Amino acid sequence: MKEPSVLFRQEGPVGVITLNRPNSHNAVTAEMVSEFQALRAGIGWDSGLSVLLLTAQGPDFCIGTDPEAWRRFPSREEALTYLSLTPIIASFNQPVIAAIAGRAYGQGLELALACDLRLCAEEASFALPQIASGEIPFDGGTQRLPRLIGRLRAMEMILTGKAINAAEAKDIGLVNGIVPAAELNASAFNLAKELAAKGPIALRYAKEAVLKGLDLTLEQGLRLEADLYFLLHTTQDRREGITAFREKRSPKFEGR
Amino acid sequence: MNAFETLILEKKETLGLIILNRPEVMNLHNMAMRDELFEALSAFRLDEDIRVILIRGAGEKAFCAGADLNEFLTAPPPTAAREVRFDSDLWRLFTTMPQSLIAAVHGYCLGSGIEIALCCDLVLASEEARFGLPEASLGIIPAAGGTQTVPRAVGMGPALEMMLTNRWINAAEARRIGLVNRVVPRKRLFSEAEQTARLIADKNPRAVRAAKEAVLRGLDLPLDQGLELERRLALRL
Repeated sequence: MKEPSVLFRQEGPVGVITLNRPNSHNAVTAEMVSEFQALRAGIGWDSGLSVLLLTAQGPDFCIGTDPEAWRRFPSREEALTYLSLTPIIASFNQPVIAAIAGRAYGQGLELALACDLRLCAEEASFALPQIASGEIPFDGGTQRLPRLIGRLRAMEMILTGKAINAAEAKDIGLVNGIVPAAELNASAFNLAKELAAKGPIALRYAKEAVLKGLDLTLEQGLRLEADLYFLLHTTQDRREGITAFREKRSPKFEGR
Repeated sequence: MNAFETLILEKKETLGLIILNRPEVMNLHNMAMRDELFEALSAFRLDEDIRVILIRGAGEKAFCAGADLNEFLTAPPPTAAREVRFDSDLWRLFTTMPQSLIAAVHGYCLGSGIEIALCCDLVLASEEARFGLPEASLGIIPAAGGTQTVPRAVGMGPALEMMLTNRWINAAEARRIGLVNRVVPRKRLFSEAEQTARLIADKNPRAVRAAKEAVLRGLDLPLDQGLELERRLALRL
């Protein structure tokens, strides 16, 4: 049987998704996308997952779209339907953390950009090199990168295609933190567990309020925030969180 | 003008000063403070003498250490709370004030503390100030505008990190990510804030209002419409 392109395991409230094409530096193929799609379909609202972690096998995170992947389709237009992966990642309600060991290039960087927090190893590097082959990013790079690091820096990366290292990425806000390569997976998992100790519904609503809110006017965004907040008023977790704080103990959230 | 229980209000010529005044509980924001802030801002809003409003916390420890959780479990049911919120919407009033607002932040600035500060146009912090958004750890989300104002100030990367992890940051880090404009020594904080306030108060007030309106409303518009708004506002001066 063929080795799957995407692996998944659940450890308590944390779901770990691993890109598993290390021999091809985890380049994206149509199979990888459809496996991701199936995985997404299997994670329902009642999965008990508070946080997801996106990792990769081997030294690289993902070097982009597999060049072979394009050739299977009669047109690039058609190929895009089957090769776009970030809509699936962005569809998770839970926070998603990317752990980036080596290169995150092209579509690989776009995958990382569709996550909510990014942790990388000291050896990691980042680029959107599509311009060098007369192309532009197709999986959200031109939209998510400027929203994350600002217009000037994003324009530089998109127009020059130049790679930046981990320190530069941290400096411009492309990643949240840098750790030694040997500690990357453990650190990312610890970060995931740290998040999972928070109220799971609160995590989802905070993510929704921030991401949706940035597409709204401030006034509409404030309205969305308040509505989500009052919806949280109806949860047992809110009562538990506040009671635990007042009793000076750790809360036990149940996602209800 | 001090009929207030949780605030001290002062007028110094063109400056309006609001001091969050519950120092015994690190200026925790409660329902009384919410109602009084609404009253205070409503009054300042219509006061033509006032060009700049300065907000700070009383006591040594904090600007504002968050919301007063003691009230949370006795609050009205969510549907009623929602009515009350939109009936007298403090945060909408705050973010649409015509005057320029400056926050001078010392000590703890947590949860609603950050949210109050980010309703202001400029934030000055003292060196020992600490910032955090602990809401998710309590099973809730920031609800005084934080999910909207924090990402607009610092970008979505640091905003999500602060909100999802509850990691607190110091003043230098807050300055680096754009949560505060300037960091100054504790003992100079209030005088520097007042100086900055006077710098703005000395400008043509109509120009100050127009600049503020162009930036804030412009951020909600596509670039073309923002440029058009800017042109209209400039012509009106």
